Amino acid sequence: MGNFFDFLIENLNTFISYTGFANVESGHIIMILFGILFIFLAIRYEFEPLLLVPIGFGILIGNIPFDLSANMEIGIYEEGSVLNILYQGVQKGWYPPLIFLGIGAMTDFSSLISNPKLVLVGAACQFGIFGAYIIALQLGFEPTEAASIGIIGGADGPTAIFLTSKLAPHLLGAVAISAYSYMALIPILQPPCMRLLTTKKERLIRMKSARVVSQNEKIIFPVIGLLLTAFLVPSGLPLLGMLFFGNLLKESGVTRRLAETARGPMIDIVTILLGLMVGVSTQATTFLTPASVKIFVLGALAFIIATCAGVLFVKFLNLFLKEGNKINPLIGNAGVSAVPGSARMSQVVGLEYDSTNHLLMHAMGPNVAGVIASAVAAGLMLGFLY
Amino acid sequence: MNKSPASSVLFLLLFLLSFTACSERVENPRWVINEVLVNNAENFVDDYGQRSGWIEIFNNTAKTQDIGGYFLTNDKSNPRKYSIPRGDVLTRIAPHQHILFWANNKPYQGTFHISFELNPDEDNYIALFDESGTKLIDEVIIPGKQLADVSWGYAMDGVKYDKAGTLQLTRLKKVTPSTNNYTLDKNEKVERFKQQDKFGASMTITSMLVVFCALLVLYIVFRFVGKSSARLNEKRRGKSTTVETTAGKPSTQDISGEVLSAIFMALHEEQNDVHDFEHTILTINKISKNYSPWSSKIYGLRELPRR
Repeated sequence: MGNFFDFLIENLNTFISYTGFANVESGHIIMILFGILFIFLAIRYEFEPLLLVPIGFGILIGNIPFDLSANMEIGIYEEGSVLNILYQGVQKGWYPPLIFLGIGAMTDFSSLISNPKLVLVGAACQFGIFGAYIIALQLGFEPTEAASIGIIGGADGPTAIFLTSKLAPHLLGAVAISAYSYMALIPILQPPCMRLLTTKKERLIRMKSARVVSQNEKIIFPVIGLLLTAFLVPSGLPLLGMLFFGNLLKESGVTRRLAETARGPMIDIVTILLGLMVGVSTQATTFLTPASVKIFVLGALAFIIATCAGVLFVKFLNLFLKEGNKINPLIGNAGVSAVPGSARMSQVVGLEYDSTNHLLMHAMGPNVAGVIASAVAAGLMLGFLY
Repeated sequence: MNKSPASSVLFLLLFLLSFTACSERVENPRWVINEVLVNNAENFVDDYGQRSGWIEIFNNTAKTQDIGGYFLTNDKSNPRKYSIPRGDVLTRIAPHQHILFWANNKPYQGTFHISFELNPDEDNYIALFDESGTKLIDEVIIPGKQLADVSWGYAMDGVKYDKAGTLQLTRLKKVTPSTNNYTLDKNEKVERFKQQDKFGASMTITSMLVVFCALLVLYIVFRFVGKSSARLNEKRRGKSTTVETTAGKPSTQDISGEVLSAIFMALHEEQNDVHDFEHTILTINKISKNYSPWSSKIYGLRELPRR
């Protein structure tokens, strides 16, 4: 009987040693609180809920403490575990091109095609990436790490994840969380910069309504866009190829089912997996480091530099444009590719000063150009440093 | 004036073409006889504890390749001298990885022991042929009078010819059986950036220049495409329009997008009866009719698949 009780107690002790309570550390609690905060922000204030809910819940999953030595194959970093298999899509960079396929299938490039000079605003905003790269280098980060941090300024989650998975996989969690958090915080980060750098007269500029774009132009765009950009930067091929392919599916008019799948169920499935896995990868032991704090600060700086560069570039362009053709600098921020959040910001701030001046459609031009430009920039850095 | 976008595009294409490498480049083989040691005195020992000359072959592609079924020879007139056995999992070689064959004339010792030896006193011709035994994949001649424990091969794995097409065969500084001839201990690209671009200025200027160029090209092309499309539309309109726009009446191009969308919305509501107030009275009268289309089989068929 005594033996039986000894065995029972031993069993209970073993069970207790496996529980989260026995293995919890302060880092886990902090990360769990972060996860809950993300979920709260997403549900209460609707800050990018499609991303923050999976990421927030992923943080909870990733920070449930357990006994690693038990070798239960449940952790994301344990080879062969379910989470590890799903994480391969982030680690090996499959998810971002699939998301780009969906983005291509849902993006209407007609605002860009109708006013192609707006494409240059998208290019100017990439200064955010390289501004943050320079600062990160000065803070002692390696060039590969600095590039991964800088790409947060591209405001493109999939691009940031793709580049970081190749150049600095150890920073993946921090970079991804930072990129998506700031995309959610665009309404807070961008308007002050936009107001600071523009005069009241500039904010009231009315832009000419966009011309109607023919279907043929829309079909030509992805083909020529791919050829021109990918020939120049082949290292951006996975992202650019999928983006323009998705767009051709949408515009060709004969592949409606494929386009609907790409922009509907497929992108939803990949977004769920990507968001969740990014969240799960932020285990306290790998995430709570001084480097993560620096990455968050640099991420914010990258966004601010990108926004300012876009607005200032529009002002610069206006110096060469005739009266009547001028561009409202409030759409400069939209070159930060967070689609459509930053374009929406142009509209909101524009309406504050003139309730009849709708800038959304004009802002969509630099907005989608930003997606192309940040993929090109990521391809370049990959080519230089990988 | 109208021709300017066309000429810019032409100029741009010529400019881009000037950068293209049109010359034929000498291709490195997909399998390369990467390193050969002819005289093995105190070097690598095989799995039987014996020393003999060896031939290292390198998978010079980015995919896993199976060398099973290929032929190794030291005799030009007999390309099928040693047939590498098929079906051995060990002959599947990962991308940019190596496989080592022992030239000890003891093929009965296993897949990697071949049916000839290397002779230290004279030139050694070694060749690899494909499964047909007729197509030469790679060949090499190792000079005779070899010192013991000195290997020959290519300084960079798989790089048989450089960009100018010069053969890179050389006496190697280190003997490296089944490992890389060139050891990478750090990423050279990153090291170069660390040393020469401490402030990130070079990276920033180069990258921004390329990003701007890429999007500038896109801008020029689509400016041209846009103008061509507008001209084409003008022509079509000119041909097809029977009712001319009378003077004084605004053309659709003068109307703003907001006004147009309001007009179209109103038309849409009118044509599709999408309005809030319904004045129609719907009366359902019972009629005697035995056949109803609702039970017809043709209406029960599935919707045709959409393209």
